[in-house]
Amino acid sequence: MTAISESGTPRAVAARPPSGRFSSLETREALTGLVFISPWIVGFVLFSALPMLASLVLSFTDFDPRAVDEIHFIGLDNYVQMLHDPILIQSLGVTVRFALLVVPTTLAFALGVALLVNSTLLAGRNVFRTLFYMPMQIPIVASTVIWIGVLNAGNGWLNQGLAVFGIQGPDWLNSTTWVHPALVLMGLWGIGNMMLIFLAGLQSVPTELYDAARVDGAGRWGTFRNVTLPLISPVLFYNLIIALIATFQYFTQAYVISNGRGDPARETLFFNLNLFREGFAFFHMGYASALAWLLFVIVLALTFVLFRTAGSWVYSGADR
Amino acid sequence: MDRIGRTPMQFTAVLAAILLLLAACQSSASPTGSPGASASGEVVEIEWYVGLGTGENPEQIPTEEAVVAAFNESHDNIQIELTVVDNTDAQNTLNTRMPTDPPDIIGPIGIRALQSFGDQLLDLAPYIESSGVDLSAIDQALIDAYNVDGKQIGIPMAVYPQFIYYNKSLFDEAGLAYPPHEVGEQYEGQDWTWDTVRDLAMLLTVDANGNDATSAAFDPNSIAQWGLDAQFTEIDTRALSTIFGGSGSVVADDGTTAQWPDNWREGLQFYYDAVWTDHFAPTKAEAEAIGGGEDRNTFQSGLIAMDAVHQWYVCCIYPAEGDPAVTDWDIAVLPEGPDGTVTSKLHADTIGILDTTEHPEEAFEVLAYLSQQADLVQVWGAMPAIASQRDAFFAGLDERFAPLVIDWNVSSQMLGFPDNPSHEAFMPNFEEADSANKDFGALLWTTPGLDLQAEIDAHVETLQALFDEGS
Repeated sequence: MTAISESGTPRAVAARPPSGRFSSLETREALTGLVFISPWIVGFVLFSALPMLASLVLSFTDFDPRAVDEIHFIGLDNYVQMLHDPILIQSLGVTVRFALLVVPTTLAFALGVALLVNSTLLAGRNVFRTLFYMPMQIPIVASTVIWIGVLNAGNGWLNQGLAVFGIQGPDWLNSTTWVHPALVLMGLWGIGNMMLIFLAGLQSVPTELYDAARVDGAGRWGTFRNVTLPLISPVLFYNLIIALIATFQYFTQAYVISNGRGDPARETLFFNLNLFREGFAFFHMGYASALAWLLFVIVLALTFVLFRTAGSWVYSGADR
Repeated sequence: MDRIGRTPMQFTAVLAAILLLLAACQSSASPTGSPGASASGEVVEIEWYVGLGTGENPEQIPTEEAVVAAFNESHDNIQIELTVVDNTDAQNTLNTRMPTDPPDIIGPIGIRALQSFGDQLLDLAPYIESSGVDLSAIDQALIDAYNVDGKQIGIPMAVYPQFIYYNKSLFDEAGLAYPPHEVGEQYEGQDWTWDTVRDLAMLLTVDANGNDATSAAFDPNSIAQWGLDAQFTEIDTRALSTIFGGSGSVVADDGTTAQWPDNWREGLQFYYDAVWTDHFAPTKAEAEAIGGGEDRNTFQSGLIAMDAVHQWYVCCIYPAEGDPAVTDWDIAVLPEGPDGTVTSKLHADTIGILDTTEHPEEAFEVLAYLSQQADLVQVWGAMPAIASQRDAFFAGLDERFAPLVIDWNVSSQMLGFPDNPSHEAFMPNFEEADSANKDFGALLWTTPGLDLQAEIDAHVETLQALFDEGS
């Protein structure tokens, strides 16, 4: 390939061919990279993107997996049905009420534990860090089954412990009042990941800021409120988003403790459990697909709102 | 692409990508699969899907494999492919396979589970007639149990009547006579009715201080032993109503109207009072405490005097593994219900053919073969639907439970009083109506102080809405 210079002398231009040329080294390297990661790309397209697209299409149908030949396009009927579905409203209410309880509780507890295992006053900090993280290694179903035993009204460890102090514990998992606090308790057991992220945030706070605060006469609470909290606010923000999304996707524990029904009195019929029942128990796969997209929109909207508020409380750099 | 092919690195990448994709996309072979079609293409492969009921336990699979192997060896034109799925996943797995890759035969599966696939099951009647399969050895009532909307969707293989298991040690300790073993027999001069059972059960219900439930000093907050349970059915209101009220249906004769018959109202009230007023049946929390959590095998705890359960419970009772608390037990007949009849609600297992099969005749040939296999019924722990096979079944149980001598005559008697219509029979909008019935049962089992009759009225309205939706 040649070109004519202003002086009219031909010169080589092979060093930088026009973009999009197949023969360039960069293109070939990029292509090689793409080929190497193509299993992931194909996997993503086949097992994530296409199913998502399929669920969007299905949400406009009355698809019943038992009668594939009888599928009909029903327009927005599934979405209209949501407006008149009392079970959906109930499941949304359950999820929101639970989120209001579990998200701040787990955030506070995880931060508290992270502060504890970050403290120089604690002997054997690494041991405690390991111990607090260890429950994360236990499958959720197994840990839930263990907790069902712990929370049993009659012979559960928790109520037996309360009985020592003369307190008659409630029927945790069969009471509409106590089942959410019981699930929060189960959730506190699994704060290992959140604690670890908080711990990383705490360790990234420059020590000279603590020294300066001490020189200025700040106490422990003042230091925490004015130094630690602002500096770990990005980590707090991240954990808040993750916890919120996880709460709206809450499923396994509720499924296990209620055999998939949402007992007692649908107080554990979380959004995702209701979605599962519609799709796999009642075979309303089209409606379940619509519910999945509603969940997607809700989570997206919540995340968007949080990001919009982040500017007012999340520390984003030295300019603040 | 030529340029890519010429570069060794890129060639390696393409090769690796293809290999990874092939590995990822390769379907997992059935661990118990049998050979597929022959090269000539004349061999028909029939997939038998196991896991929806019993049949998926590791000790059962070798027998199923042996039965399949025997068939495959003796048939050149048909080969059975056995697919065994864990029970907890079987229903969902099948649901997801139905649109694209349904099996041919499903089962063993009970009456209730078959209702989920009622519309998708092949009517066997024409095949039974054309093949000349002899069903005369099976009670007509059992055959009729699988006739749904005029379609014969299964041939009974295994039956499980219900009766009362009782812990003889607890009766001995209380100085009480054992319950009757013969239908029509009295108990201590009283007719054997549910009222008599209530009186007996309250005497057998004891608190931590040793007071029985008839005593004024009885403390319902510290019960140590219960007189009666109906384990595994506590939230199924149709089942509970049948046990304590006799046969009935939530669907009126017109097929679309929801109802709760009077005898069922009475039966459900009996059970609700047993849990919350008379305290001789355990609450959910109590059952989970003594019965190993969600498993709720309460009778095996040794703290239940009488338990209304089916024949299949022999699966899980002494001499089970471990250190059993129940070492001396027997079985008694069910009492007369408020409708004046004895009713032993019946569970039954069968095998059905999905109507999506491309080879219905061959599938029926396989089904007919499987339904005759006594070995299968034995390994499933079921009483054979074919009467001539029952002596061998009970002899096997006698050997297993020796030195205990169990009066299996009770079981045979109870088979003569099946619920008709079945408590698992079809309802419009079946899955949602069934779920609503269980939601209602869960409410009753966990909530004291309800006005039960008003709750039943409200529940009937809920059912009617679901029936209307499904019509």
